[in-house]
Amino acid sequence: MPELSVDQFQTLSQVIYQKLGLHFDEKKIYFLKTRVAKRMAALRMDDPREYLFLLTYADPQGREMQALANLVTTNETYMFREYDQLQAFANHCLPEVLSDKQARGERTLRIWCAGCSSGEEPYTLAMILQEVFPQAQNWDCEIAATDIDENMLRKVATARYGHRSVAEVPDEYRNKYLVEEGNEYVVRRRTTALVTPFHLNLHDRMAMRAMRGFDFIFCRNVLIYFDDLSRKAVVDHFYNALNRGGYVFLGHSESIGRVTTAFKLKRFETHLVYVKE
Amino acid sequence: MSSLKEYAEKFDCGDETERVYAAEDIGYLNAPEGVPALLERLPQECSPAVRDAIFQALIRIDGDIAIEGAVQLLASEDPQIRNQAVDVLRRKGAQAIPFLNTVMRAGDKDLRKLVLDVLSEVQSGDAGEIYQAALSDQDPNVVITAVENLGRMRAAEYRGRIEDLLLSDAHPMLVAACLEALLGIGNPASLEAIRRRFPELGALPDFLLASSLKAVAALGSEREFAEVARLLPVRGRHLRPAILSALLAIYPRCRPGADADLLAVLQALVENGDPPLCRYQAVRVLGFWADSDDVCAFLVSCLSSPERLVRLGAAESLRMATRPGLDPRPGLDPVLEARAREESDEEVLQALGS
Repeated sequence: MPELSVDQFQTLSQVIYQKLGLHFDEKKIYFLKTRVAKRMAALRMDDPREYLFLLTYADPQGREMQALANLVTTNETYMFREYDQLQAFANHCLPEVLSDKQARGERTLRIWCAGCSSGEEPYTLAMILQEVFPQAQNWDCEIAATDIDENMLRKVATARYGHRSVAEVPDEYRNKYLVEEGNEYVVRRRTTALVTPFHLNLHDRMAMRAMRGFDFIFCRNVLIYFDDLSRKAVVDHFYNALNRGGYVFLGHSESIGRVTTAFKLKRFETHLVYVKE
Repeated sequence: MSSLKEYAEKFDCGDETERVYAAEDIGYLNAPEGVPALLERLPQECSPAVRDAIFQALIRIDGDIAIEGAVQLLASEDPQIRNQAVDVLRRKGAQAIPFLNTVMRAGDKDLRKLVLDVLSEVQSGDAGEIYQAALSDQDPNVVITAVENLGRMRAAEYRGRIEDLLLSDAHPMLVAACLEALLGIGNPASLEAIRRRFPELGALPDFLLASSLKAVAALGSEREFAEVARLLPVRGRHLRPAILSALLAIYPRCRPGADADLLAVLQALVENGDPPLCRYQAVRVLGFWADSDDVCAFLVSCLSSPERLVRLGAAESLRMATRPGLDPRPGLDPVLEARAREESDEEVLQALGS
């Protein structure tokens, strides 16, 4: 069976970027090649050209793209995932928003983790917030952690995590914000107090409209599972839910620019972020 | 329809979010009466978010009136509105074709080009009349876009027309589009037309060579392999990936023997610091002759390269050489196993083991 050639890999990367917003550079050639081989075997195809044609022109419902997405993305979530992006948040975006608020005499900060899964991300943000802005305790700060899955929300509420979830937590954070209990780590109460888990379906238009007044929205590695129209609808809701000057963070390799022109791209050193001006 | 009136009135609201919701709600009403309100708001709306919402609403509203509205917007002076109208019409799919047909007959060259932009993402057998007209259009951009679409759709019924265009004294961009389209259609008989147009690949300028290489990669055989191999040392560095891709694609169809000059050029490419992906390709081409002791030894040495893609290519090439049915190299397995013990990259390890 012919394998995916270099130029087919490049075409495939472009198609995946256009449809899912995920970027695969040349280092990922073997990774994509092996995933495509799996999909081709499942479809009983023996020519990568046929597979590329299917993905590009013969998959109007996006079913095959979804099947490939399931192979090339990971559901794994852990604290301090995509650290670079969190650094942009902690070092640039958060101080900027806080200083604007202080200048206006405001004392509220609202962050929304949309599709928070088992809660590693909202607790990561809560730790960062307490670390870089100790005055948070005197402000009205809230991290809304929403998910469609009630089981996940129950996990968020227990705030207990296994070793894999906390493996990337820097030591100085681990000692300060987590307590080891047997084989698990528990997030300390003053950190969990910042996080409010609740049920929300990102497809529920009216429920989404109730989400207003946020300064930051994190929705990382969630929208890749949506079709184009739904993805656009959700990103439009994010725009409406943000305050002016607020930021939205999608997954590291996801791009918002191809979904909407409403946000402005902003650069902080090597980081690119999207802001509602 | 009091709710429509209510929503339309919200377009005058100063709050951008309320205007977004108004457009969204009109879209969800899915009533043709909502279209005029959306179209009326669009030219005066300065918020990109509200404009986006208006176009999403046009997508949601079923029926001809939303299509007609989007067709009107193709003539807008504002390029962003034109592009978004194209997107709406793509979403409408085959239902939009009768309206696009009218534009194709009566519209100016820019509108005719936009019709083909819409069709680039619409798979429908009903667009034949539009394509027939487009292939004979006076404007080269319209013809080029039509050819590009047909190639992507692998519209085999247009192969003859596209070969004729290739052989005519056409605009260079059209020639490149024809090559790409014939490659998409993938009929081996097209190689004859391509070779008639370009009997000597080495004489082609760079931009036509890149397209021709893709075509001969898909359709060529031993003659083309030798010709493409001769290009490697003499054409610019930027063409190397295309040349190597062509060699990788043609080889399985003709399995030519090793050529000492080519082997030397490939080995130099791997060693001379070309971009990693290019070096990977060169290693994979070398892998075709891994049954030669010299090539095999070179590939084994590549397993220690600091460049991960070179190691990956060497691992894949050597693993191919150990597959049953190919020329077995009994001493190779232990070498690969030994190397695997020193390798830390997960994917190279997988390639060594597979």
